[in-house]
Amino acid sequence: MPSKPISRVELLQGTLDLLILRTLTTGATHGHAIAKYIQTTSQDLLQVETGSLYPALHRLEAKGWITASWELSDKGKRARYYKLTPAGRKQLAAEQSRWDAFSRAMGLVLQ
Amino acid sequence: MRPFFRKLKWLTQRRGKEDELREELEFHLEQEAEERQAEGIPGDEARRAARRDLGNVTLVREETRAMWGWVVVEQIAQDVRYGLRTMLHNRAFTALAVISLALGIGANVAIYSFMDTLLLRSLPVSDPESLAVLNWHMLPGSGDSVVHGGSGAMHDDPGGGTSAGIFPYPAFELLRTSSDGVFSSVFAHRGTRKVNLMVKSQAELASGEYVSGDYFHGLEVAPATGRAIGPDDDRTGATPVAVLSFAYSQRRFDGAASAVGQSIRINNLPFTVIGVAPPGFFGVDPATAPDFYIPLHAELAPGSDQGPEHKEYLDGNFYWIQMMARLRPGIGMAQAEVALGPVFHRWIATTAANERERADLPALVVKEGAGGLDTLRRRYSTPLYVLLAMVGLILAIACANIASLLLARATARQREMAVRLSIGAGRFRVIRQLLTESLLLAGIGGALGVLFAVWGIRFLTLLLESGDEALRLHAELNWHVLGAALALSTLTGLLFGLAPALQLARVDPAQAMKESQGVMRRTRMRWNLKQVLVVSQIALSLLILIGAGLFVRTLTNLQSIQLGFNRDDLLLFRMNAKQVGHKEPEIVEFYSDLQKQFGVIPGVREASLSNSPLVGQGSWFSPATPVGEKAKPGLVPHILMTGTDFFATMQIPLLLGRGIDERDQPGSQKVAVVNEVYAKAYFGNRSPIGRHLIMECDKPADVEIVGVAKNARYGDLKGDYPPVVYVPFNQDSAYAVEEMTFALRTSGDPLGFASAVRGIVHRADPGVPVSDIRTEAAQIDQTMSQEIAFAKLCTGFGILALLIACVGLYGTMTYSVARRTGEIGVRMALGAERGRVVRMVLRQAIAMVAVGLAMGVVVAYVASHLVESFLYGIRPNDPATLGIAAGTLAVAVLVAAYAPARRASRIDPMAALRHE
Repeated sequence: MPSKPISRVELLQGTLDLLILRTLTTGATHGHAIAKYIQTTSQDLLQVETGSLYPALHRLEAKGWITASWELSDKGKRARYYKLTPAGRKQLAAEQSRWDAFSRAMGLVLQ
Repeated sequence: MRPFFRKLKWLTQRRGKEDELREELEFHLEQEAEERQAEGIPGDEARRAARRDLGNVTLVREETRAMWGWVVVEQIAQDVRYGLRTMLHNRAFTALAVISLALGIGANVAIYSFMDTLLLRSLPVSDPESLAVLNWHMLPGSGDSVVHGGSGAMHDDPGGGTSAGIFPYPAFELLRTSSDGVFSSVFAHRGTRKVNLMVKSQAELASGEYVSGDYFHGLEVAPATGRAIGPDDDRTGATPVAVLSFAYSQRRFDGAASAVGQSIRINNLPFTVIGVAPPGFFGVDPATAPDFYIPLHAELAPGSDQGPEHKEYLDGNFYWIQMMARLRPGIGMAQAEVALGPVFHRWIATTAANERERADLPALVVKEGAGGLDTLRRRYSTPLYVLLAMVGLILAIACANIASLLLARATARQREMAVRLSIGAGRFRVIRQLLTESLLLAGIGGALGVLFAVWGIRFLTLLLESGDEALRLHAELNWHVLGAALALSTLTGLLFGLAPALQLARVDPAQAMKESQGVMRRTRMRWNLKQVLVVSQIALSLLILIGAGLFVRTLTNLQSIQLGFNRDDLLLFRMNAKQVGHKEPEIVEFYSDLQKQFGVIPGVREASLSNSPLVGQGSWFSPATPVGEKAKPGLVPHILMTGTDFFATMQIPLLLGRGIDERDQPGSQKVAVVNEVYAKAYFGNRSPIGRHLIMECDKPADVEIVGVAKNARYGDLKGDYPPVVYVPFNQDSAYAVEEMTFALRTSGDPLGFASAVRGIVHRADPGVPVSDIRTEAAQIDQTMSQEIAFAKLCTGFGILALLIACVGLYGTMTYSVARRTGEIGVRMALGAERGRVVRMVLRQAIAMVAVGLAMGVVVAYVASHLVESFLYGIRPNDPATLGIAAGTLAVAVLVAAYAPARRASRIDPMAALRHE
């Protein structure tokens, strides 16, 4: 049996977009892999709900920050691969600096 | 904008996107399952766990799909689909609503397109806003003015005084040379009369515009081909050139390009076509459509006899030329007026012949010129506003009608709405659904209305143009008009849809579900919105019916005016031999010869001619005073030059002496026949035979009175008979012999003689065109074209309003009877007789009709004064008209209400009660 994480951190409103964009800087990948990546890099503290992952991906696509194309996965199955667009990169930079400012502010107040 | 277009693109690939999403989620599940299998969980269970983790797949799909941005579109599509289904389900209701709306919207759009063209549209030239029209205004004074003579329209101003847009030629020169500070150009123009235009040796009547050298430049109109008339063309002695209208070049030269360089003859003078005006350009007066443009100075060409004579051309007291100007950037109308007013005043003071003339000098007025001349606006703005008010009322009635039908249906749909609300539909969503249905109705009505409007515009153009052959109305559907139609449809849709929608959305689901279909929650006789709507429909319909009644009575009054001559079996036509080179005295012979030939056509009883038709073209008048009498102030007789047999042809009885006959030749004693009014004014009961008159027309003469004719109309149809002096046209005793109108008294249909007439004229001189061949009756009708148009339109509107009001009342009553089936059943079971039931139901209708009529009469009492100026021989509040209109309406709507009442009395008590 895999060890279940003792406690999970709830995703803050609006941070999922940032996480997805950040994940895609490592290269194009599909929805499931994005979820797994966030989960493992956060050391299982963050778990992305499938119910919000796919709407978020499609929302980002509608906004033109990511594009999607059908490619073969490592196991040879057709999967929808998402890729960051230049506009998405710009958006990521903007959101990242906003987030940094926010977390620094939070840190300053709480310490 | 890019996300928007991306979403739009997705919308078109919707099926594919759905499949992709399914596949994407499928892939996700597989990955999850594989992961779990790798952890050692058996296949089936792994898949189930994966699915459990994913949660509600449908919900995920829904939420993802929401990101595509189509939810609103999808819901609207749903609403529309549902709305269309509902409409198909109630075909009778839909057809009724759509047709009444289409008629209402169509009538409004048609009238509006006329207003758009006549009153609102700018000239099709660049920057029309900077154009100005020059006018003058003169205060009411002693009657002596510097305007000694003129040619063109002058208007009495509502505030007193006179204004006009005609000037002497020197005024044009003055303003052209001294307005450099405010105008970038000043240009003059003036319509030619109907002229004889010969193209490729084929003659026809055409009308054109004399224009100054700056006309095209000032208007900034570039020719379609060739070049425009320039300052060098507008000089004495310049080669005569002409610019053709685009339409004329298409008609006569198959194309603009081939017209340039061609030679044409205007009144027998040669002109070279140098260019063709752009399509759509109609000069500066929206009422006209000139066929050609020639330089102003062409008027001075030798042999030209159109317009003023040489001496008048430069006369400072002869007013005939019209002027427009283009303002320099940044200069306003008022500024220009202030700058030029004193210049004009100084000049015009020098034209005054005496002190009295100097006391009331015309002052320069600079008016907006974006819309060109205001000929049409003067003539049609009031009639169009009256018509617009009428069609506005019709649309209001149609809206009220649909609203009351929708309200009736709304009550029937309470259960449906209750179900929708109780299974979770938001109230806003329900309102939106209902409004979508109304807007759909309005949209279909509007689209159909535009079709009606196209037809209506054609019909109106015919009706309005029929009074005036020179009049050209350029009304058409354009984007403004279609925009107005769209706005109107949306507005009406909201108007009649909102009340029922709000009422339905207020439904309390629990309450509505409990009620059975046959019971009404409201008390029955309370005056609710439905009844208010029916009452207002009746009131509005009454207004329209009264209007129709007044206009119809006006028309019959006009048609029964005593003419003094016999209008039946009389053929009229005109020709102008002078325009193709016939000159006095030969022209007199030419016309007399024709008269003789017409007289012997088999079936023609008498033939004669005069220099003007008696009715329909105004009249000529000049002073003529008996020798030895003092001229009576205000008694300027109308003068008519006639051929022999005129009184016999027109069947105007002679009271004394003889008519004009063969004895009256060019060399013999000059004679005249006067009418009763003239004879009475100067001679009382004494006989005027043998007395002499001094005629002060263009050709002064001393004439002997040889007869007295019974009064007959000449000029106006309305009012008192005018004093008239008839003289032979061949005795040089009045005016130059130019255009003549022939009259043929025929046995049988007058129009049947048209080809015989054409044949005779063609044999006499193929270059002389015969125009305006029509019966005297048609000629008289033309002078009342506006009254005829109003009577016809308003009768149509009245019938329409009546029908819609009847349908409204019928619908409301039918519905109310249906709702009361149970109650009526109980009453009948308890012994109510059929007659009582009918009366009970009718009482409700009578109450509504009575209130509606009372309201209508009150409004009509105030509103009918607005149309007073359109009436003849009838007062605005004519009690008979009011009574007939009210009676007609009452009978019609009560007949409509009787059918439901009768149905109520046929209710089978047993069936009704079982139904409960």
